[in-house]
Amino acid sequence: MDRTIAPELKKIESIEFVEPKVYPVNDKVNLYWMKEVPNETARVELYFDGGTINGKKGTSSFVNGLLLSGNSVTNSIKINHQIDLLGGFFESGITTEGSAMSVYALRENMPELLTFLKKCISEMDCQEKEINELVQDKKQKFQVNLQKTRFLAQREFQKRIFASDIKYSQIVTPDYYENVNRIELQNFFDDNYLNGLTKIAVVGNFEEKQIQDIIQLFQPWACKKDLKYISDMQNEAGNFHIVKGDAMQSAVRVGRILFNKKHADYHDFMILNTILGDYFGSRLMTNIREDKGYTYGIGSMVAEYNNFGYFMIGTEVGKEVKDNTLVEIKMEFEILQKELVPEEELGLVQNYLLGQLLKSADGAYSMMDLYLSAQVHDKDLNFYNEEIKHIQEISPKRIQELAQKYLNWEDMTIVSAG
Amino acid sequence: MIHFERFTLENGLRVLFHKDVTTPMAVVNTLYDVGARDESEEQTGFAHLFEHLMFGGSVNIPDFDAPLQKAGGESNAFTSNDITNYYNILPKENIETALWLESDRMLSLAFTDKSLEVQRQVVIEEFKQRYLNQPYGDVWLELRPLCYQVHAYKWATIGKSIKHIEDAQMIDVRTFFAKHYHPGNAILCIAGNFELDEIKTMVDKYYKYIPQISKHTRNLPVEPEQMEYREKSLERDVPADAFYFSFKMPERTSDRYYTVDVLSDALGREKSSKLFIQLKKEKKLVTDISAYITGSADAGLLMVSGKLNSGVTFEEFEAAFWDCISEFNQEQLSEVDMTKLLAKIRTSKEFQEQGLLNRAMNLSFFELMGDADGINKELEEYQKISASDIKIEAKKILRKENCSLLRVLSKKSNKNG
Repeated sequence: MDRTIAPELKKIESIEFVEPKVYPVNDKVNLYWMKEVPNETARVELYFDGGTINGKKGTSSFVNGLLLSGNSVTNSIKINHQIDLLGGFFESGITTEGSAMSVYALRENMPELLTFLKKCISEMDCQEKEINELVQDKKQKFQVNLQKTRFLAQREFQKRIFASDIKYSQIVTPDYYENVNRIELQNFFDDNYLNGLTKIAVVGNFEEKQIQDIIQLFQPWACKKDLKYISDMQNEAGNFHIVKGDAMQSAVRVGRILFNKKHADYHDFMILNTILGDYFGSRLMTNIREDKGYTYGIGSMVAEYNNFGYFMIGTEVGKEVKDNTLVEIKMEFEILQKELVPEEELGLVQNYLLGQLLKSADGAYSMMDLYLSAQVHDKDLNFYNEEIKHIQEISPKRIQELAQKYLNWEDMTIVSAG
Repeated sequence: MIHFERFTLENGLRVLFHKDVTTPMAVVNTLYDVGARDESEEQTGFAHLFEHLMFGGSVNIPDFDAPLQKAGGESNAFTSNDITNYYNILPKENIETALWLESDRMLSLAFTDKSLEVQRQVVIEEFKQRYLNQPYGDVWLELRPLCYQVHAYKWATIGKSIKHIEDAQMIDVRTFFAKHYHPGNAILCIAGNFELDEIKTMVDKYYKYIPQISKHTRNLPVEPEQMEYREKSLERDVPADAFYFSFKMPERTSDRYYTVDVLSDALGREKSSKLFIQLKKEKKLVTDISAYITGSADAGLLMVSGKLNSGVTFEEFEAAFWDCISEFNQEQLSEVDMTKLLAKIRTSKEFQEQGLLNRAMNLSFFELMGDADGINKELEEYQKISASDIKIEAKKILRKENCSLLRVLSKKSNKNG
């Protein structure tokens, strides 16, 4: 056997995407269900209109943290005890435009667990004692975060990338933790959770009847409003530096406002993004990590919101090479604008992306996530068949055009902390 | 139940095959029986630095990642104090590419001076990013030598200091490879929708001619039983005081291991655990507290860590902590507690085994610990444990003389920040 010769490769021509079943909860809210799980695991996700753009300062985050805090009769200890007794795991979190709860359990325990959670969350009444404890905990976490260059850079980046909208650009400041108002939290909870459910996603091998029960259970929470999100967003281009004197590394963010899946250039830009910084062999990794050893890792991504998106490069580099890193990133933009991507490199990225898409569609959990990330932008699974087509047909010329259109240094918000 | 087949090549390579007909992907996982515990004390961080170099090209193939990406796959690896584990995930049709790449780097590496130089630099940046440029990041660098006085667990995987990595020489790298990277020191696990026969043919094709080298016998000094309470305080520029109690516990293959695991869950895994309720919810001494085990192959640690609430002193907290421990040691867990602990374990295990990669990695690790089928007997082991077993272990382990405490003190200047 000649070990220098690579085995022959098979190309991925098509991928099977499995559609979840869709059930209306009311005329605005749906439940999505993936049944085919070859084991006993189950996951139920509830999405809410509870993001940071709603409410004042820390309100959305505090309310999210209080969901299992109970009331004067049922305290959080009892609630957690019951969840644990059913072998359940509960997670909750917020983003800018929304919030979510996820429940993980064996399917035999899920119905009882959901009924229990629905009851205690509905009856939650923002006890002062629980608020005070949560605020203390969050304040300490915030102070710890302020010691991290990565956190400082991301925070400044958020402020600058969303510069044109005060609701999106607000960043956490120490005064968030003073004078937290119970009534405000309670109102937010009533509006954005008890009347703010926007979507339910169920993965698990349930009976049809059990799905109907879940719909019934959560119907009272279903949002009746039409939710509107802004589309116009403008980043503040330029250089911004946050000083942290004792840091050994600088955290760097470079980015600009861009689009999401609704835009005609989305598919092709994602291919450009991969070439630039979204896989281990990307140009940024090859140059800044594998050639120069400036960093442990560097990557680029597109973050998507309801009506827009942003592009961002992120890394942490030795303090002394921060400026060189920026010079190199800029140079990589210029190379993509001036030179055509070699066929060999493009071929590799095409195969890589198809392999990744195949993996993203593997199994009920991945498939649900993939489906929802299209659904949120009003797309169905055909979106991914289009993606396959774009990956197969893209040309070096098209990539160059997109680099010229979207990767201009003067449009970028450049943030460093260190 | 995770089904698998097992066979061994003449050169000593142990192979596991796990069939899953539901997935279009394949996993090729290679576990090498070498970790930071196999380093010399003068050259720490080596196993991990070496893991980086394994991606720098092998004897017949100049670059590891590009051919795999071209096959639609991706690859990564991790190093612990016990093992180094490399994995590839790719479309099943292209599995041969992963076998071709993995077998060639088992056969022989082809490092250049440049790749050594660059990876040294990358690892130094990793050292800074994860351990030095993070609040509380250096805790394990300090805690290990406090807990272990002779065993090689006294240094962290990343290494004792940046200097050890800077000093790594090409000759050391070659010696390390020769000693640890050969078929007899590896476990290969393949997972995906294949037949056993095709797996055997493919494995034969790529691995059969890799020469056998005799496996070196690990001869680590045994950590003597701890006889005294140890404590150490660090002063750091962090906003909150933090604590790390470390209790010695038995090795991974001990029949006491699972009991101690459940003991740690009862103490502080969840928000309904003893420490969380008493020290956080009731006494409000901490903002966060949890218990867990390190899960290492040789004698490991049961950890309790967290942060103090502002205004609380270590003196006050430690007194309450030891009261809580002594209460725990006196009581016996109720039937409800036991049901609860087991319910959590069952759910976690079912979710862990959900992913193909996890199954392949876990099978490999259990095989290293003696038998891949151990993964299927685990739940039974947990179910056998009684409340009185836990009480017995608690009394053995949760003692001051068996404990090392590391405190991280917030520098005064920062307290109001």
